[in-house]
Amino acid sequence: MPAIRTDGLTRRFGDLVAVDDLHLEVETGEVFGFLGPNGAGKSTTINMLLGFLEPTEGTATVLGHDAAAESVEVRRRLGLLPEGFGLHENLTGREHLVSAIQTKGADDDPDALIDRVGLDPDDARRAAGGYSKGMAQRLGLAIALVGEPDLIILDEPSSGLDPKGIKLLREIVAEEVERGATVFFSSHVLDQVEKVCDRVGIMNGGELVAVDTLDELREQVGAESVIEATVAATPDASALRDIDGVRDVSVAGASVTVTCTNPGAKMPVLRRLDDDATVEDVTIEDASLEALFEQYTGSGEEAEPQAVAPVAGGETA
Amino acid sequence: MSTYTVARDDFKNAARSYIVLGVVGVFAALCGVVFLSEMNIYDDPYRTLFDVSAFVAFVFPLFLAPLAYLSITGDRTDGVIKYTMGLPNTRLEYFVGKLGSRLSVGVAAVVLGMVVSFVVAAATFVNAPSIARFATFTGLALVYTFSFVGLFVAVSASTGKRSRAMLGVFGLYFLLVPFWFGFFPVISITNLIETVASLLGVTVSENARQYIITFSPATAYLRSTDLVYHGVAGNYDVFAQTFRGEELYDQPWFNVLEMLAWGVVGLVVGYVKFDRSELG
Repeated sequence: MPAIRTDGLTRRFGDLVAVDDLHLEVETGEVFGFLGPNGAGKSTTINMLLGFLEPTEGTATVLGHDAAAESVEVRRRLGLLPEGFGLHENLTGREHLVSAIQTKGADDDPDALIDRVGLDPDDARRAAGGYSKGMAQRLGLAIALVGEPDLIILDEPSSGLDPKGIKLLREIVAEEVERGATVFFSSHVLDQVEKVCDRVGIMNGGELVAVDTLDELREQVGAESVIEATVAATPDASALRDIDGVRDVSVAGASVTVTCTNPGAKMPVLRRLDDDATVEDVTIEDASLEALFEQYTGSGEEAEPQAVAPVAGGETA
Repeated sequence: MSTYTVARDDFKNAARSYIVLGVVGVFAALCGVVFLSEMNIYDDPYRTLFDVSAFVAFVFPLFLAPLAYLSITGDRTDGVIKYTMGLPNTRLEYFVGKLGSRLSVGVAAVVLGMVVSFVVAAATFVNAPSIARFATFTGLALVYTFSFVGLFVAVSASTGKRSRAMLGVFGLYFLLVPFWFGFFPVISITNLIETVASLLGVTVSENARQYIITFSPATAYLRSTDLVYHGVAGNYDVFAQTFRGEELYDQPWFNVLEMLAWGVVGLVVGYVKFDRSELG
């Protein structure tokens, strides 16, 4: 049984088609990256999976239950970190977590969850009205983990998290998958998804334009890696060109630039360079994921880098 | 269980905000002030209860409006509903939890107001206050509180926009209280009845007029307080002027039913709208 399955899922708002005939299957136990620029229809899809929005056409089945008709059953076995959620400003983070544990009938230790997501125990006992975006996000993640859910939906989970928080998020995702959970990870930032996801689906303009592993997608669009090396002596350019997966080699004095269409070509290129001469410096610019993203989404204008600093002030989400 | 959790969190959140404490405190204080200001005018605390009933009927809904109008709309606009409804709560559990929480704040205001009134009356009036009369008065004020909290939570459940929720609750207040009571010289229900009747060339019987007037929960509440003055109605002229007849619209049980009906019908409509609304 797939964890998520949508058949012709469609949602219109007046004339706007937010989600158009979506056929998607997320397998149990995988980490699925749901990518797309803002406004691509990701959140509308998630809201339909949660029963917050009714589909105009089509159906969504989550953990074997109809998402619209059996929403409570779905949410009983689901962990959710929603985008743009708010908190009761006068309740502490810990109180939110305790309520989530009670509502789910789970027996988690709230303090262990707080520790796991890296929320300061003192902060957890302060009113959530004073939380930064990053603190709220960590609390949201803790709430999503309550009751060992079968499916965890993370909607833009890294927004507001600092690099340490993002690393922790990745570790937690890995631990949850290890436990047997399925993770549905929605983001507009490609490199967040790249490091954790088994497969990705790319949404654009309400349509699912690609679904595959990132390597496969890279190969499909011919995404490239560029190796730049500074060497002590001029290498044999033709020998480099003969390596399978190398598209182009250019030599300018002590500097060599090798373009690979296949990730597997990178190591042979490096070995060959090393055999030929002393390599003084090397940089690899990996397949431009942004370019890959742009290729699927048309413009990529929304694929801006995201703020990593926590937002200070009274933001509750 | 979920209803309780939703209600508890909402109540805790409200109770820790100074606005709610202020509303409850100010209402209770004003009740006490009414008694203090009349201690040298009347000997009987129940006569002052009559004045408090006017205060409750006309002003108390204005205390309840800010307490209730954002109960659900606020959660929708600031995203708290995504936290609550991301958990396995049904919409009914959520709705009832919110109602329960806001209603309990209203109940707290009424009960505290009556306790303060009773204590002030016992300390300052010539004749001792009657527990039975105060209890009856409190009960009727609580039914009235239910009718307005029900209506206001229903308005809040019907819209995801703050401005509409505010317009809705204050619109309802002005319709059901000042307009129905005829606070303004021209804009009132009695004027409207007469205008419509003359346009149609018909006459409206006094009976029909009274039924229309008692249609508002505020009128119904005031008429229901007849119960408080059982056995002492002849002692003050104002009682005789207010509580007169034997008609159905004068019967306290009918007035109580009216108030309950306002709350219940409002809540059913509000819930149905909320159940169909989209939360994304």
